[in-house]
Amino acid sequence: GKRRAPCLPLFQGFLSGTEQGRCYLCGFKLWVPVLQNNQGPPLVGLITIACHLVKEAKRSNLLGESAEGRAVVQQWLEYRVTRLDGCTKEDSKTILKELNIHLQDNVYLAGNHFTLADTLMYYGIHPLIVDLTVQEKEQYLNVARWFDHIQHIPSLRHHLPPVVVLRNRIYTSRHH
Amino acid sequence: MRPVRTVRTCVFRCRTSSFLLLFLLQGGGVLRRSQSSGINAFPVLPPSSFSSWSRWKQLIFVMGFGDLKSSSGLKVLNDFLTDRSFIEGYVPSQADVAVFEAVSAPPPADLCHALRWYNHIKSYQAQKNSLPGVKKPLGQYGPTGVADTTSSGPAASKDEDDDDIDLFGSDEEEDTEAAKLKEQRLAEYAAKKAKKPALIAKSSILLDVKPWDDETDMAKLEECVRSIQMDGLVWGQSKLVPVGYGIKKLQISCVVEDDKVGTDILEEQITAFEDYVQSMDVAAFNKI
Repeated sequence: GKRRAPCLPLFQGFLSGTEQGRCYLCGFKLWVPVLQNNQGPPLVGLITIACHLVKEAKRSNLLGESAEGRAVVQQWLEYRVTRLDGCTKEDSKTILKELNIHLQDNVYLAGNHFTLADTLMYYGIHPLIVDLTVQEKEQYLNVARWFDHIQHIPSLRHHLPPVVVLRNRIYTSRHH
Repeated sequence: MRPVRTVRTCVFRCRTSSFLLLFLLQGGGVLRRSQSSGINAFPVLPPSSFSSWSRWKQLIFVMGFGDLKSSSGLKVLNDFLTDRSFIEGYVPSQADVAVFEAVSAPPPADLCHALRWYNHIKSYQAQKNSLPGVKKPLGQYGPTGVADTTSSGPAASKDEDDDDIDLFGSDEEEDTEAAKLKEQRLAEYAAKKAKKPALIAKSSILLDVKPWDDETDMAKLEECVRSIQMDGLVWGQSKLVPVGYGIKKLQISCVVEDDKVGTDILEEQITAFEDYVQSMDVAAFNKI
């Protein structure tokens, strides 16, 4: 089966300095990540673990600024887990279209600041974007812009290959 | 031909004036007309820019958004921000503050990228002094080739004129109005060039596919050719034309979109069926 959330170790690296010695990702149970820490029962699920890591790193601003902001972040996290993970090829096109519409008016997914929603969506969408052709990137221009923006945030990308987002400015699509 | 007034008029009256010479003269009635008739030989810079080395230099090395207080400048800004979240780099900085302050009002809703950027930077109003970077004059930001003319007028172009020698002795009647108009037109040109064309250029191609010998199964050959599916390619009618010795060639027509499919790609794919196809030729190529 396909492992979901290979991004959690990357995310831990991004938050760096959180519990590296204290708790560890103890593998996957039915393709869902499980985090074992010293206090309390193991945490199961991508969103649960990610939120826990953020709070431990004392970067709660990543979860959203206001009550409304926090709700929007949670909605995007749900979107990531329910719609994006394990989607088919057709679904991925729908997802990209929806994201493109949303990102037309928004620089970040939730509100005006970088949040956990952007991080997990970036990790989730990376395999999709890597395979897009130049024309498809032009079609989903807002997603490409947001993606290029997020992948330049320091210590987020790690070893994931960078995706080149170049807009063809000299020739319009008519010229070869 | 007796030259009447200036070099410009002389060339206009002379029948053997070369195309290149026309391009090298300053913008006058001649060039405006030629520009509107759709001459696209120089896709990036309009013809009137070649009148002097100084002006050409200015267009290559100068940056800016045109006049940010006008809609043409906002269009350039919108185009610039289509694939960028911020003016410079990947975090909000003083560059964004500088451009934000030059833009007096929220851009209209049809310039969605500029509006998105504007609303986003507006949310940083409280911390605008603490954003990283150093505020530079507006001419340091934006796409190259478009001069910044926000509120300072065409003062920039005037300064450049003084030092360099104008190669064609162009007239001194370059006044502020004309210069301003030129910069505005440049901004509009750049913005227009970046927009996608509504029409899709299509061509109808007639291909001749030749088999190895008369034993080759032509039905199978046609099936192979028609199995080639590409975006922008539509197969049309086909017929078998005898070429002698019992050998028949397949003449098949197709309609392609110019920017998606080329004859070389088609040739590659058709000749890949080495068992059936000996060679392929383009018998006719018509633009639709």
